[in-house]
Amino acid sequence: MSEVKEKILNEEDQKISVESGEGASDNVLEVKHLCKYFPIKAGLFGRVVGHVHAVEDVSFTLKRGTTMGLVGESGCGKTTIGKTILDLTPKTSGEVIFNGNVHLDKMSSKELRAFRPKIQIIFQDPYSSLSPRLPVGEIIGEAVREHNLVPPEEFDDYITRIMEACGLHDYQKDRYPHEFSGGQRQRICIARAVALNPDFIVCDEPVSALDVSIQAQIINLLEDLQEKFNLTYLFISHDLSVVQHISDTVGVMYLGNMVEYASKEEIFANPLHPYTQALFSAIPVPDPTIKMNRIILEGSIPSPSNPPSGCKFHTRCRNCKGVCRKMAPRTMDMGNGHTVACHIYDPESGYATEEESKPEE
Amino acid sequence: MSDNTNMNLNTNESGEEQQPMSLDDGRRVKVLSPGMMVFKRFIRNKLAIVGICILVFMFLFSFLGGVISPYRQDQVFHKYDKANKEYAGAVVNTDYRFTAAEGFTLTTMTRANFNSKVKGSEEAEVKFEADDVTYLARKVDDNFYTLSVGEQLGTVTVLGKITDIKSIGDAELSKALKDAATAAVKASATSFEAEGVTYTLTKGAAKSYVINGMKEVAMVSMLNFDAFTSEYDTLARSFAFRKACETAMHAGADSFEVDGTTYRLDIEDETNAVAYLGDTEVVNISNIIVNPVNNGVFLSIDYKAAVAEAIAEKHTTFDFVDENGETVKNTVTMRNNNYVIFTEQATDLIDMYAPPSKEHWLGTDDHGMDVLTRLMYGGRISLMVGFIVMILENLIGIVIGGISGYFGGWVDTMLMRFVDLFNSIPYYPMMIIAGAIMDSFEVNPYVRLYMMMAIMGIMGWTGVARVVRGQILSLREQDFMVATEATGIAVSRRIFRHLVPNVMPLLIVQATMGLGGIILTEATLSFLGLGIKYPLASWGSIINAASNIYVMTYCWFIWIPAGLLIVLTVLGFNFVGDGLRDAFDPKMKR
Repeated sequence: MSEVKEKILNEEDQKISVESGEGASDNVLEVKHLCKYFPIKAGLFGRVVGHVHAVEDVSFTLKRGTTMGLVGESGCGKTTIGKTILDLTPKTSGEVIFNGNVHLDKMSSKELRAFRPKIQIIFQDPYSSLSPRLPVGEIIGEAVREHNLVPPEEFDDYITRIMEACGLHDYQKDRYPHEFSGGQRQRICIARAVALNPDFIVCDEPVSALDVSIQAQIINLLEDLQEKFNLTYLFISHDLSVVQHISDTVGVMYLGNMVEYASKEEIFANPLHPYTQALFSAIPVPDPTIKMNRIILEGSIPSPSNPPSGCKFHTRCRNCKGVCRKMAPRTMDMGNGHTVACHIYDPESGYATEEESKPEE
Repeated sequence: MSDNTNMNLNTNESGEEQQPMSLDDGRRVKVLSPGMMVFKRFIRNKLAIVGICILVFMFLFSFLGGVISPYRQDQVFHKYDKANKEYAGAVVNTDYRFTAAEGFTLTTMTRANFNSKVKGSEEAEVKFEADDVTYLARKVDDNFYTLSVGEQLGTVTVLGKITDIKSIGDAELSKALKDAATAAVKASATSFEAEGVTYTLTKGAAKSYVINGMKEVAMVSMLNFDAFTSEYDTLARSFAFRKACETAMHAGADSFEVDGTTYRLDIEDETNAVAYLGDTEVVNISNIIVNPVNNGVFLSIDYKAAVAEAIAEKHTTFDFVDENGETVKNTVTMRNNNYVIFTEQATDLIDMYAPPSKEHWLGTDDHGMDVLTRLMYGGRISLMVGFIVMILENLIGIVIGGISGYFGGWVDTMLMRFVDLFNSIPYYPMMIIAGAIMDSFEVNPYVRLYMMMAIMGIMGWTGVARVVRGQILSLREQDFMVATEATGIAVSRRIFRHLVPNVMPLLIVQATMGLGGIILTEATLSFLGLGIKYPLASWGSIINAASNIYVMTYCWFIWIPAGLLIVLTVLGFNFVGDGLRDAFDPKMKR
């Protein structure tokens, strides 16, 4: 019985990988100069008095079958990037291109709805992301039926396969979300996303609401599925160890800007940006004998509605100089696809020649 | 046995699945859908079960009760009862009644002059003139006069020693009269008496005298002569009979003769008597005039006689045996100078305010309708109004609140201001105006009922709209709604499969709690006389009877049961609503 299933699953896997391999660009996702501002309205007539600069000028590319980790402290715009990419919140400017030629904002609502299955999202909170009034089988299968992804006679079988692939059991189909634990619920969320046979999944802090043992299970599940279905992940997290484990490339965000982007090995071995350095110094090492050399950032993240001038990080940067306050840094390619936005690495900024100065109090 | 089967099932299952049970394995817990969970939690709530029992009772009472009840809701019950009704009036006659002899007419002038000149006079004989005729009123007794006019009876011609008396006309002159006349002429007297009657002599032609006698032409009396049967009517009206009868009465004789017939006279007192012919009552004589109070009622002479007798004997009550042989109680009361006779009559009465009995378990109301049956039909109306208004409110509220919440933005703002507008319409003045308009157009009670439901529904949806909008606004931001968008599910499906089922619990609770409120509002309106109108009943309009202080004080069986039903029903809905709210609340995992 299970052997037969396995066979079908394997066949299916091959089919899927063949399908997604053909005719599709190598880059699943290209993000170019993405901006998202939220208007601040005030006064009697809701006049726009300013904007929250949630995402500002973010660009990156995601190759098929890879995982990009997106890290940064809370409020830096990680989740907004994820939602803006999927057009769940409309972007302000910039470009988001799927599979080399698909622009979500240029599609009609009908086309967009048809394309939705290809791009999925897994939410942080597995409790609020499942409709409490639908049985699990329905939650997972609803969109599959909606988009006619499988013939009706195979539907039950398909859902069973997906559930089993996500570590759920066939008999749990008729149960309701409230009967599941947090980890199981997250599996349901993953199954819901995977069932639609997507190319790309935004994992919006999928494990931060779970305890550590379950986190590992979920991370492993995601890796297994990636392998099985040739998935591409945008893995948003504030947990650096998780990102280190799962990612191929890592982007570091600060206050709406992507300050550094590199392959996992590169960035963990050689963090360039002062913020990345501070962030990575906070990774706990499970060895009490090693003396941690932590860089403590002072103050909290500035308001994104009124970001600091020049380099947004200059208020907390220990390497801050005059140029940092005046001029926004350019994004510099340091080789190997390692980019960083910092004046230190920009020879034209004049940082190197400038005298050390204390940040203004 | 059952244990055995269970074990078998278990082994089968584990045989197929080949999976060990873990701590969080769902197989350990019985699978329950959210609906079943809610149901289970609901039936564990004792108060909610009490509420359900009350409501089931109310529904059976209202919808089945009306079918079982032998009465219709607008059936009016009657009873036959004796009621003291003003039946006749009697007055002691103080006016003279004139009875003229045959062939003689009394002019109005004569009657007037009699009244002015003779009435009250102490003289035995009073002469007065009217219309050039001289009348002689002779007082026979108190209030009994005879009126005479001069009449030429005959002429006496004197031829030396021979006197010749000739009669004039057909007057018969008796021997005694003739002798007396002759003697008077010889003595040259101008008057003489014969047989107790005075005659005058007036000189006529040479040597002749005219005998002037007095002829009785009328009698004046205060007595009333009523024939017992119509065949004696003429007799009772005739001058001869009346004269003879009254003369006999004043003389105290027990019989008198008229035209050769002898009548027996039974005298009660000087003003009341009955004349018999043989053993039959012929004429009743009385000074009391009895008239019926209502036109068209014929008072038998027996009754009149009985009334006269009672008044004469100063009785305040008397029994009268009517023609059907039934004894009727009569009461005589004096009112000014008249007597009013109340008769206990068997009347078809509406059985108002009857106390509880075997036929009417809760008595009857002010219309004489069975209160229990009215309560049953009233319950139908009250519950129906509650449910229809609730459905109407919720339909409008869900649509407007749903649109407002789902689309948000300026649509939301517009609709919510519209809701504010509706909320600022004062409810009761509006209902009072609507009630008054329908009153003035005399709207059919059924149409009125529908209109009332429509108005209540239209006035009441705003609360539902606000709740739905708020709930949808918060649900819309939930991750599972974002997920439906991310998975590309159609809008209609998003609304009806995801939003509505999640709003439903709140709505069900709200609606259940609201039902009690609607029933109260309807009862209030009906109590104020603006809602349900006769012949339809509602609990509120039944309680309305208590606005009468008499009903409030003595007829507890009319308004207390209706009040109890309202209280119980509202309580029932509130209990059930509370139970539902607790059951729907996922935190209440009892």
